[in-house]
Amino acid sequence: MSLVLVGLNHRTASVAVRERLSIAEAQVATALGEVRTLAGVDGAALLSTCNRVEVIVSANGEDVIEGVVGWLTGRSGADRTELEKHLYILRHEDVIKHMFRVASGLDSMVIGEPQIGGQVRAAFAAAQSNGTLDSLLQRLFEETMRVAKKVRSDTGIGEHAVSVPYAAVELARKIFGELRDLQALLLGAGEIGELTAEHLNGFGLKQIFVANRSHDRAKQLAERFNGEAIYFDAIEPYLATCHIVIASTAAPHYVIEPAHVERALAARKSRTLFLIDLSVPRNIDPAIARIEGAYLYNIDDLQQVADANRELRQQKAEQAEVIVSREVDSFRGRLIAQDAVPTILELQQRLEVIRAGELEKCLRRLGPITAEQREAVEMLTTQMVNKILHYPILRLKDSAGAPHERESLRQTIRKIFGLR
Amino acid sequence: MNPNATLYATLLLYGAGTLVALGSLFTRAKRMQQSGLVLMIGGWVTHTIWIGTICARTGHPPLTNLPEAASFVAWTVLAADMVLFFRYRVDAASFFVYPLVLMMLTVAAVVREPFAQMNPALRSNIFTTHVLLSTVGVAALLVGLAFTLLFFLQDRSLRSKQRGRLWEWIPNLEVCRTLSYRMLAVGFSIYTLGILAGILWSYRTTAELIDLRVKQVGAVVAWVLFAVLLQSYISGSVRVRRMVVISACAFVAIVVAMLGIHHV
Repeated sequence: MSLVLVGLNHRTASVAVRERLSIAEAQVATALGEVRTLAGVDGAALLSTCNRVEVIVSANGEDVIEGVVGWLTGRSGADRTELEKHLYILRHEDVIKHMFRVASGLDSMVIGEPQIGGQVRAAFAAAQSNGTLDSLLQRLFEETMRVAKKVRSDTGIGEHAVSVPYAAVELARKIFGELRDLQALLLGAGEIGELTAEHLNGFGLKQIFVANRSHDRAKQLAERFNGEAIYFDAIEPYLATCHIVIASTAAPHYVIEPAHVERALAARKSRTLFLIDLSVPRNIDPAIARIEGAYLYNIDDLQQVADANRELRQQKAEQAEVIVSREVDSFRGRLIAQDAVPTILELQQRLEVIRAGELEKCLRRLGPITAEQREAVEMLTTQMVNKILHYPILRLKDSAGAPHERESLRQTIRKIFGLR
Repeated sequence: MNPNATLYATLLLYGAGTLVALGSLFTRAKRMQQSGLVLMIGGWVTHTIWIGTICARTGHPPLTNLPEAASFVAWTVLAADMVLFFRYRVDAASFFVYPLVLMMLTVAAVVREPFAQMNPALRSNIFTTHVLLSTVGVAALLVGLAFTLLFFLQDRSLRSKQRGRLWEWIPNLEVCRTLSYRMLAVGFSIYTLGILAGILWSYRTTAELIDLRVKQVGAVVAWVLFAVLLQSYISGSVRVRRMVVISACAFVAIVVAMLGIHHV
């Protein structure tokens, strides 16, 4: 049995090509059915995301590649030669490695991004519910998801934010832990400030207060976050009750000064305040960073955090590649051993028939013998058979060498021992 | 079998666990950190057996001399650390707690005294209460100090915007602060009761409230410093640098008090 993967991704094809091949959720069942009925295909699955479209099939040989490429060409409506420039075709072990890397986020545009794990799981579920998986693909997907989980838990590759808004969320969580019982104050209606507030709100903030020079705009934003609009010149009392302050106004001066923060911290029980200044020019006086309990990050600081996280993910990707290689070897070995099982069983049965037959003949010639003597002769012949089979079985289970070499060895052993 | 065989086995497991856990600081491999934890748990089990052996042989808790007290504090500190680890997944605490535990058990092994029967004249419920509460209180206070240190390191990282090696291993600032406060509050209460029981016992046996020797002076100084530390938390006037200096002094005072423990 062979595994074949034909596909394209963000590195091999532009979005213009990818969108023509993209498979909408409603079309998945039909598409799976079409691939499954291609000549020679035993099992099929499709992985279609905004960054990749891949067809994964199991078959008895590699002849199916032609059919799969043809099917993709038909779908894209493009010239076949043109499409082939963007396609990659992977076979057996390369398919396993590719699937493990994709699900772990190692082949993603943003290394370690977590969404791809869910997309692979969805592709598996779709193929399973449409009945297009055979046992080989079933095992491949199960193993892929297990490896992806292991990679993420062992390396923590997806744990660090690589964008400015997420870096702010990550820092807020590093300071406060759970964000559920916290209140935030958003100053201004800058795009990045809005985005940061949205991400923070996604972690279940208790309340968001929005202040803007235009109160109407503040009301609009507050509605969006299910928060409360306040007047811009009345923010000081809110500094005393909020835990996170996001400043993103167009004001050319400092809106929050050290005295504001000192008064706010003195008036509250929790003595921690996280200030995020996303404005240029800055809206929060940098001297605030020296106040005990106040943590101030500006746009450059957050960008640095995001850059450092990107480097960290790169380092973790190296650890992840080692895990993936080890898991590919292990899975490959298990598949080969499983492939060899029918031949091994036939071989053992064949020799057992010979052993039992020859022993019976011999015992008839010998005449009556005691039970102990019979047991000794049985043991002797069984051990001889086991010794004869030892090396052939070992070779059949051996995962070294190319698939065609292993197939050739299997055929040779079958011929030598007269197996059908 | 040598009754101290389990002590040496414990020392070996703690040593290996500490080395492996510290190694994970450089490799940043979580699996290595977990292996360190497994070794430490193994060590804690043999440690428990050793403490049980002493109890069985002497008929009283293993707290009558320095090695026994150091060993019991180490045992309690590690137990508290493991409970907190499983509740809050505080990986970084191990970088401070494991070496501390190893150090205290090394003291127990190096300054080893034979399993000693307590002087029958000193046997009393008040004395047992005093030593038990004092050592459990000290253990909780030491764990509290470890979390104060973590709080300090995390605060520095956030303020300097530079991530140290411990960034990933230290939990959020709020957890560090809460655990530090809770452990100090619980430890301080138990420790205070222990000291009061000690004063009562001293009064009953010698008719004096306190005997001003190294152990007693160290204990009182530590008590005052921990009171100041706790007051900072309760009043909300947390000045991180000041807290770390007080914590360091309190740690030294506790060590002095422990080293002053003599055979009773």
